[in-house]
Amino acid sequence: MKCPIETRENAELLLAYCTRKLDAESTATLERHMEICPACREFASGQRAVWEALDAWEAAPVTLDFDRRLYRRIDRKVSWWNLLVRPFRPALVRQGLPIVAATCLVVMAGWLLERPASLPPVAQPQSAQVETLQPDQVEHALDAMHMLGEFNYRVRGDAANSKM
Amino acid sequence: MPERVKTDMGGATAALDYDAELMLRVKEGDGASFGLLLEKHRSPVVHFLYRMVQNQAVAEELAQEVFLRVYRSRSSYEPTARFTTWLFRIATHLALNSLRDGKNERLQERLDDNSSDMPARQVRDSRPTVEQKMVYRVRLEEVRQAVAALPEKQRAAVLMHKYEELEYSQIARVLRCSESAVKSLLFRAYETLRARLAYMA
Repeated sequence: MKCPIETRENAELLLAYCTRKLDAESTATLERHMEICPACREFASGQRAVWEALDAWEAAPVTLDFDRRLYRRIDRKVSWWNLLVRPFRPALVRQGLPIVAATCLVVMAGWLLERPASLPPVAQPQSAQVETLQPDQVEHALDAMHMLGEFNYRVRGDAANSKM
Repeated sequence: MPERVKTDMGGATAALDYDAELMLRVKEGDGASFGLLLEKHRSPVVHFLYRMVQNQAVAEELAQEVFLRVYRSRSSYEPTARFTTWLFRIATHLALNSLRDGKNERLQERLDDNSSDMPARQVRDSRPTVEQKMVYRVRLEEVRQAVAALPEKQRAAVLMHKYEELEYSQIARVLRCSESAVKSLLFRAYETLRARLAYMA
């Protein structure tokens, strides 16, 4: 057998031997080698000492409320997102459609208002034509109205005299 | 591969497959499976972290973060590696970050205080004398300091190899290095520990 100390690739054999994880055949071979190899004997002895020393180091038991604290943190993590989304959820579910519809209407209205340039020309209302009348036309119209008023007055006056 | 190792590995593989199966159930929304995983791995993870950072409170805090990350990653979990490999990768990552950030201060008083928490069964004599107690404490302190003095990766490798009995391949995946690099790490780590602790034989 090649000395495990000399060939580091085989050093795991020594580690496995010291941790009692080596199979019977390899253990027997290694023990035969150690009878004639003081370096390996020393290695094994030292490694066993280390192993036993490490065995003595036991970790303290886990505190009893470990799970409770963990689940509380999990709940907190989950509800954190829920809390973030929760205020918006009813609005999205219950009022989402009306909000979207209203938004669409506003957008459509805005679009239509911005659009008249492209629409066919609409007939101007009559009142708008008054603004286009010339002053002399207005004067004639007023004169005509005055004459009609006087005419009416005289006609009514004649009718009253004939009755008397 | 030696027979005994093969047997151990076979058992471990079956158990780990079951863990992955549980995790897949967690992914599907089964909270009880997460409880089973927590029950099974709580102590190993806390103990590993405790030996890494050597502070019980910090270890438990980090362990909480480990399981929290496991839970939060459930939706994206894919059983590409053994569950324990994934679990200890998270734990090692957090422990190394904690050590590097200097969050954990291994104060001498804490070590002294914690040493008194050790169960009495660790002392061979059921009624240890004061002298035996002192010898035990000194030895324990020596072990702790020897492990704490190891470089971080060597420390993690030793703890996973010695206490958690992870295979070389698993340790390699946790530390993101090759198997031969893990063997080399362990060899050097045990060499350092032998130089310091062999007198205890």
